Amino acid sequence: MAFGLRRPFQPKGPDRFAVNIGARERAVVKAVCEDLLGALEDPAAEPLLRRVYPVAHVTDATIDEAYQEMVHSDLVTSRRQALERIIASTQEKELDREQLEAWMIGLNTVRLVLGTRLDVGEDSPPELEPDDPDLPAWAVYEFLGGMVDSIVRSSAETL
Amino acid sequence: MNRTAGIKHIRFADAPVEVRDPDIEETLGVDRPWVVLVWNDPINLMTYVTFVLQKVFGYSREKAEAMMLEVHNNGRSVVSNGTREKAELDVFRLHEHGLWATMQQD
Repeated sequence: MAFGLRRPFQPKGPDRFAVNIGARERAVVKAVCEDLLGALEDPAAEPLLRRVYPVAHVTDATIDEAYQEMVHSDLVTSRRQALERIIASTQEKELDREQLEAWMIGLNTVRLVLGTRLDVGEDSPPELEPDDPDLPAWAVYEFLGGMVDSIVRSSAETL
Repeated sequence: MNRTAGIKHIRFADAPVEVRDPDIEETLGVDRPWVVLVWNDPINLMTYVTFVLQKVFGYSREKAEAMMLEVHNNGRSVVSNGTREKAELDVFRLHEHGLWATMQQD
């Protein structure tokens, strides 16, 4: 188990980052990305995707609609590309900077959707009973937070 | 790092929405700059928000961190300003990174 002992992502140079996570963590990463890939354009998933495609103007619906019309498909495409890049590289021991950026954006997007579903607030995480049905989702949410944080630190160190 | 990911597919300049009557623009005070705001949200990590502001705008770590703290403490922060086209592009890049960004005319 790599956590607590080694950073999940460790810079090896300006364009090389070691991925110090085990097979189970890699399987989780792959599974959540595949899940979200399926949900990105699923109308039934729309309420959970509101943080992925936020409003661009708070009070003027016309400006917001014009913006959404212009960018929505690009936002879908860039998210899909990030998730596909992660899925293609889940077994890699090292990532280059572009791959690492895809991991950062893709895993953060999963976190946004999961956080929306869990209704995360400022006081989260709540106290959960061991048999709470949301416990696995909270565990994944916290795991992804650690992953994104480690990617950010590794990227920022080598900017 | 690729600073323009996704942008190349968008042609803001010739999007139909940008066609406006110059006379109307003048009376509406189109010279007033647009501002881009980032809003506080309980999901995005503070380290992540700081890093995205550094990456998208090229801000120093100190400047980006100050903006992030303003978002965290005051609920929102102005992170950029300029023409409507620039504001749209900035909002788009922040949305690509999952930040809760909006634009408005100052």
